[in-house]
Amino acid sequence: MLKMQNIRKSYRSDTIETHALRDFSLEVKEGEFVSVTGPSGSGKTTFLNIAGLLETPTGGQYLLDGQEVGGLSDRDRSHLRNEKIGFIFQGFNLIPDLNLFDNIDVPLRYRGFNAKERRRRIEKSLEQVGLAARAKHLPAQLSGGQQQRVAIARALAGEPRFLLADEPTGNLDSLMARQVMELLEFVNEWGTTIIMVTHDPDLARRAHRNIQIVDGQVSDLRQVAQHKQSAIA
Amino acid sequence: MLELRPILSALWRHKVSALLIALQLGLTLAIVSNALVVISERTERISRPTGVAENEIVTFNFMAIPKDYDMYDAFRQDLDMIRALPGVASATISNHVPLSGSGSASGFYTEPNKETGAMGSNYYTVDEHFVDALGMKLIAGRGFYPEEIMQIDPSSNDRPKVSVVTQKFADDLFPESDGNVLGKSFFLGGDDHPIEIVGIVERNLGPWPNSSIAGRGAFYPAITDRWFYYIVRAEPGQRDEVLKLVEEKLAERDGNRVINANTMEEEKAQYFAGDNTMIKVLSGVIVLLTFIVALGIVGLTVFWITQRQKQIGVRRALGATRTAISRYFLLENLMIAATGIALGTAAAQIFNGFLVREFDQPALPVSVTVFCALGLLAVSLAAALVPALRAANISPAMATRSV
Amino acid sequence: MFGYYVSLALRSLRRTPVLSALMVAAIAVGVGAAMTTLTLNYMMSRNALAEKDSVLYAVQLDGWDPHEAADNPSEMPWQLTYQDSVNLLRSDIPSKQVAMHRWGGPISLENSDVRPFNADSRVTSRDFFALFDVPFLFGGTWSEEADQSPIHQLVLTSETNDKLFGGENSVGRTVNFNGVPFTVVGVTEHWQPSPKVHDLNNGHFNKSAEVFLPFGLHRAFEIYPWGNTNGWKSEEITSYEDRLNSDMVWLQYWVQLDSPKQVEAYRDFLTGYIREQKEQGRFPRPLKIGLSKPSEWLLLNEVVDGDDRMLNWLSLAFLLVCLVNAVALLLAKFLRKAPEAGVRRALGASRNAVFSQHLVESACVGLLGGLAGILLTLAGLSLIRQLQMGYMDRVASMDWTMMLAAIGLAVLSSLLAGFYPAWRISRTNPSIYLKTQ
Ligand SMILES: Nc1ncnc2c1ncn2[C@@H]1O[C@H](COP(=O)(O)OP(=O)(O)OP(=O)(O)O)[C@@H](O)[C@H]1O
Ligand SMILES: [Mg+2]
Repeated sequence: MLKMQNIRKSYRSDTIETHALRDFSLEVKEGEFVSVTGPSGSGKTTFLNIAGLLETPTGGQYLLDGQEVGGLSDRDRSHLRNEKIGFIFQGFNLIPDLNLFDNIDVPLRYRGFNAKERRRRIEKSLEQVGLAARAKHLPAQLSGGQQQRVAIARALAGEPRFLLADEPTGNLDSLMARQVMELLEFVNEWGTTIIMVTHDPDLARRAHRNIQIVDGQVSDLRQVAQHKQSAIA
Repeated sequence: MLELRPILSALWRHKVSALLIALQLGLTLAIVSNALVVISERTERISRPTGVAENEIVTFNFMAIPKDYDMYDAFRQDLDMIRALPGVASATISNHVPLSGSGSASGFYTEPNKETGAMGSNYYTVDEHFVDALGMKLIAGRGFYPEEIMQIDPSSNDRPKVSVVTQKFADDLFPESDGNVLGKSFFLGGDDHPIEIVGIVERNLGPWPNSSIAGRGAFYPAITDRWFYYIVRAEPGQRDEVLKLVEEKLAERDGNRVINANTMEEEKAQYFAGDNTMIKVLSGVIVLLTFIVALGIVGLTVFWITQRQKQIGVRRALGATRTAISRYFLLENLMIAATGIALGTAAAQIFNGFLVREFDQPALPVSVTVFCALGLLAVSLAAALVPALRAANISPAMATRSV
Repeated sequence: MFGYYVSLALRSLRRTPVLSALMVAAIAVGVGAAMTTLTLNYMMSRNALAEKDSVLYAVQLDGWDPHEAADNPSEMPWQLTYQDSVNLLRSDIPSKQVAMHRWGGPISLENSDVRPFNADSRVTSRDFFALFDVPFLFGGTWSEEADQSPIHQLVLTSETNDKLFGGENSVGRTVNFNGVPFTVVGVTEHWQPSPKVHDLNNGHFNKSAEVFLPFGLHRAFEIYPWGNTNGWKSEEITSYEDRLNSDMVWLQYWVQLDSPKQVEAYRDFLTGYIREQKEQGRFPRPLKIGLSKPSEWLLLNEVVDGDDRMLNWLSLAFLLVCLVNAVALLLAKFLRKAPEAGVRRALGASRNAVFSQHLVESACVGLLGGLAGILLTLAGLSLIRQLQMGYMDRVASMDWTMMLAAIGLAVLSSLLAGFYPAWRISRTNPSIYLKTQ
């Protein structure tokens, strides 16, 4: 499903060069629920941005669904993002001017569905997150947990195969956090691959697999073992 | 001036927006300062003294309906009647009306039988009442005697013996004589008939105040029936009544003609309509442009402040005073405005060079640029003041609120 | 997608009404100023004779002062002398030709309540109507004889005919002009070219004649023209006949030449004529003639004068300031929405999509600005009409072309203004806006 090999990402500013990811390799299978943990500044968000085609790596190879995405144009990348990937952010990032209905409408518009199909999907996904009655409300009129559920509905409306979540529960209390987590697990059961960055060890454990990023590199044990092996060989 | 460095680095992050505002101010300075010189030149043109009682004079002209109409007889009777009317100070008959845009001009010489090197000047044929009727000031010599007035057929070659000229005519034709021209004679082209100067009037701009010969004028004691206007000066404040009364009485005395009446003020306004339009339009340009730029500055300052609301809150929470916050934004604005004005001063000179070259407009003095620059600086600061004061009112609690 | 962008744009404009109003106002004022002067210039430089531009020519002969050229851009007198006009009229090379000048006089009707009035008139040879394509409502031009000898016939314009005869067919009726009875032989349809290309002497935008009179009347009426009369030498003039034979210029002369061959032949004819006159001591200057098409004639006469052209430049500079203003405001507005653009990018909008969306928003501002700009232009033109005291009434008005041009200019300027801000926001890296704040 997703395969990264020796990905590098460095940011240059006037004074210093930051290596956000170094020699980063990872494979995620279809239907997996992977949690990502690691200290602050270790490169988790950078990894998600690259995985979600929001940023391009400085080096290395990235295969999404077996397709090499390195050389794609912005248009194709946007297309892929729209069709295959859903995003959930810690800050919700709903568009404040648009009501819930129109917020969920955004990715569907870019997909080019007709009005009827869009309406069907929006209603369905609002239903899924239990906010169907609030379609005409503005984001500011909802609680944080509700906003995050809308964000999930928006991510799901396009029926992506792949959901990327960056600390989706970071701004929520533990009850809300659990609700969101249950929603994600439910979605995963229906076949959507999920990668979720979190600081919460309890939530991280609920995933099928946990990877830890330290200093821009994957440091899960298995990978470390492989590394040693190749060093010996 | 502790604050300059952070302001500069913040501005650098908004360099495009800041530059756009500076650019606007610069262009505005270039336009406004040039518009101002043009306005002041045109205003001067219009408000120049004309030498005649422009606000008290009405003029009349008629066309006779029958073909063989005794014009000279009508002139005599009309003028006698007009002079006797209440409110009329004086009246004359002239071939043309000063400031009207329609007149006669010719070339004049100091020596007989010359063909080249003439001095161009306006000329009028008038009767003996002309100095008083036009409200001019006779500064030397005399006017005309009634018996000097001749009747000139335009197809005849009759020449007057005497003439009254304007001071400017005398100075320009006889530059060496220090204004002492009474008794001197001048000639028309290719002619040996001397015309003696018997009087000098202070000033008369003539029918075309914007032409190169404006101010030069020669008056002949003569009447012609091809081109004629009654020029009537009313007692102060009675012009409009006199206009109506004379028009009525002329029609009453002889209904067999079509009469045109006009005030000199109206004719002058017509003549200067172009300059007047220019003044009004350019003033409008100055006001609108300044307004637009001010709006732009307000808009952008408000935007920057909204964008930095949280930051301002944090600063306040960390101990910045209200004045410090306002001062920050005013200083920021001052620096942008200063850049703009530096750009604008150069642009104003370039623009002015173009106007001088292509359109023969007056050169731009430094004082005008400085004046406009200070004005724009004030406008710019005033525009930034309101949002800057508002920024100072942002509560320190802003720091803890999420946006 | 376009409809979606438009609805987003309108929503966004409504969200920040003050900023939006500022932008619309900036564009409107800029467009209003530019369109006011552009309209004036466009109307001023209109060529009423455009359809015959390739066959009509204004004739100039340089018979001016040997010591200095005539003081105008063509360096030839604008007009012709009476004697030359009469001599040229004898040529049979041109398909049509007219010699003419402005005149006027009181006009009245016997036994009528119509008050006598002064009628601006044109004394002309009979080809005038055919040459300038002036259509007749009733009747036609006068007889050929009337151009040679004093025959009391005249042609009225439809406006004068309305005044005098209430619009009836007046052919054959009698009117008194200058105290003498004339027979009406024709009534023209409305014909009011502005600028008055056929005679640019007394105000380019003044009204045309109300009455047309034959060319054979000069001696009988001792006609002194109402237009400009210019001379350069002192001549002994003791009678009207002397005046007609003088070197004073006061007539306009136009010819219609339908083929290049005809033009060539006419040029030769004029050259020959001047040579012949030179032998008699006239035309002391180097041989020079002028044949100008109506479009060239308008340019040569500087119908659009320096002040007008200066205002044109000024208004363009004005528009530029308004544009810079709009760019700054649009940039501010768009950058404020950068986080939203970031979300859209994350949800699958391509850079082009974000760019188009914002460009559409700019265009909406432009469209609104254009509509408001038309209103401002109309206000500006009415102000000009008022300031010019009637002199520009026919010129300072807007037609459909100019209204469309106003909207076009507004949309174009706002697209131009929106280009950089839209580009800028479509290029920003979405990820930085998605970080938790
Ligand atoms: N746009 C950027 N320009 C420069 N450096 C950046 C940029 N984005 C991230 N970095 C740097 O890259 C490194 C990794 O950042 P990243 O946001 O991926 O960390 P993170 O693991 O998500 O941290 P956190 O848990 O705090 O969110 C950090 O050192 C950060 O300073
Ligand atoms: Mg992070």
